[in-house]
Amino acid sequence: MGVPRDVIDSAGIDPDDDPEGLAVTATSHLAPLPGRTTRFLDAAPGGRFISRGRLTARAMYWLAWLIFSKRSSVSTGVQREMQALGVGALRLTFSASILVGLIIVFQVSYQLAPYSAQVFSAKAVGWFTAREMGPLVAALLVVARSSAAIAGELASMSASAELDALRAMGLDPVKYLVAPKLAALLISLPALTVLTDMLIIAGGWVGSTFFLGFSSAFFFEQFRDSLELRDIVIGLGKSVLFSVVIAVIPSDEGLSVSRHVSAIGQAATRAVVFSLIGVLGADTVVNAVFYFIPGLV
Amino acid sequence: MSAPVVEAPAVALEVRGLTGPADGPPSIHDIDLSVPRRASHLVLGPIHAGKSMVMRHIVGLEKARSGTVSIRDQHGERQSFDAASVSDAVLRRMRTMIGVVFEGSALLNRLTVVENIELPLLEHTDATADQARETARRLLSEVGLDGMNDELAVAQLSRLDRRRVALARALALRPSVVLLDEPTLGLDSHSAAELDDTIVRTQEAGGFAVLIFSNEVRHAFGRAGHIYVMEHGRVVAQGDLDALMRSDQGLVHRLLHRRARQQR
Repeated sequence: MGVPRDVIDSAGIDPDDDPEGLAVTATSHLAPLPGRTTRFLDAAPGGRFISRGRLTARAMYWLAWLIFSKRSSVSTGVQREMQALGVGALRLTFSASILVGLIIVFQVSYQLAPYSAQVFSAKAVGWFTAREMGPLVAALLVVARSSAAIAGELASMSASAELDALRAMGLDPVKYLVAPKLAALLISLPALTVLTDMLIIAGGWVGSTFFLGFSSAFFFEQFRDSLELRDIVIGLGKSVLFSVVIAVIPSDEGLSVSRHVSAIGQAATRAVVFSLIGVLGADTVVNAVFYFIPGLV
Repeated sequence: MSAPVVEAPAVALEVRGLTGPADGPPSIHDIDLSVPRRASHLVLGPIHAGKSMVMRHIVGLEKARSGTVSIRDQHGERQSFDAASVSDAVLRRMRTMIGVVFEGSALLNRLTVVENIELPLLEHTDATADQARETARRLLSEVGLDGMNDELAVAQLSRLDRRRVALARALALRPSVVLLDEPTLGLDSHSAAELDDTIVRTQEAGGFAVLIFSNEVRHAFGRAGHIYVMEHGRVVAQGDLDALMRSDQGLVHRLLHRRARQQR
């Protein structure tokens, strides 16, 4: 299977500018999986969306292996990824979330001012944070911080033949490089989302009590009314979906790169762009589902 | 009186009619190679002659248009595959019988030196973490790097040591064949000689076949038992050094006689 034309064009690569003929094709990173049951996954033709779908399916397969494997989380690389993707994002999450909370309270009270309804601004902080802002802000922060790094690292591994070395040893790069990231994000992103929720609310409290002049007790009463367990669960469900997007899209960009010096930077840029679109798109789809299907809200 | 029976050494690696890759115009055509156990053969040719592509096809990193690859392991059992349509299980098994040292060593930068060598052990054997660590340390001392700090990162090693670690990793699963792509490219002559010695030493201990892919003519004047000269994706001449020195073939003549003149 050769490189699909649209992939070459959209990556800005001149297909003739590859004299060694060693360009890694868009689908060649998906070496055959062990086992006949998964062979059908490799049958589809290439193309960006199908490439992502195939990578997701393969990453899920190895994720299942990771869950049931007896190997420690250190040796499988999951621990390293949790450190890089999860723990490393704490500082950014902390500062950004409090600021977002302040922003929400200010903006909502500004909107409610003509109706003299600023008192209700605390209500907005509750369910809106848990359902929407918490998961979205956490996901976008992780995208901003990590997606370029994920793509860049995989792209430079491709350029330095490290991926070839893995394959030549009979190891699937998806098993060792993508599935651990997916596992790490599935654990870290919901945790970060909960943290983001709490910090946004904290920021909202600061804004409400110190700048808008409402009492603490009032804030918490308003807030308690507006937040249900349901909202938190929906928010966590979104964060699980976002984990898959953030693990798969930058990895796909990094793995599907050709051997050009500029390709690494291009892969990183594309990773950020498509991860942002992916997260926002997934968020929109989930919101639409909950809005339009009656009884689900 | 019957003639004494001379047993030909068992052929460890055999490649027949390899043409590929399958997508686009083929860059290698009708490659035939045969490397016996304990022998060290050389594929010599200028850049872009297709040497690396031959190596990639043998290991299954490229899908071929046609051809077969056979490996005979230490016990004499033969495993072969049709390079145009190989099943995952067979390819996986073949890859455990071939050790590959890539150009520039291709060690995983995100892992420490020891972790790099443990990787194939943890994947293909049921060694525990401790056993894998011990085997990795033993392999390191086999290539002349004993007493190495466990936490040492790949980037902290010299170029020669990186190549040695790559060789140790290639030897982890006790392969029957070791392929080396430009093993001494970029090394100064002293380091190159050291690496050559290391390769010879490990081969004598391990009994595997060695196939070196190189554009460096000096390898032809070394220990290569049989040399395949490649140009434009084909083997244009082959033989041992004496036979090639007598050859009239243009490229062979240019490569070898120029070098021989330089050596005088």
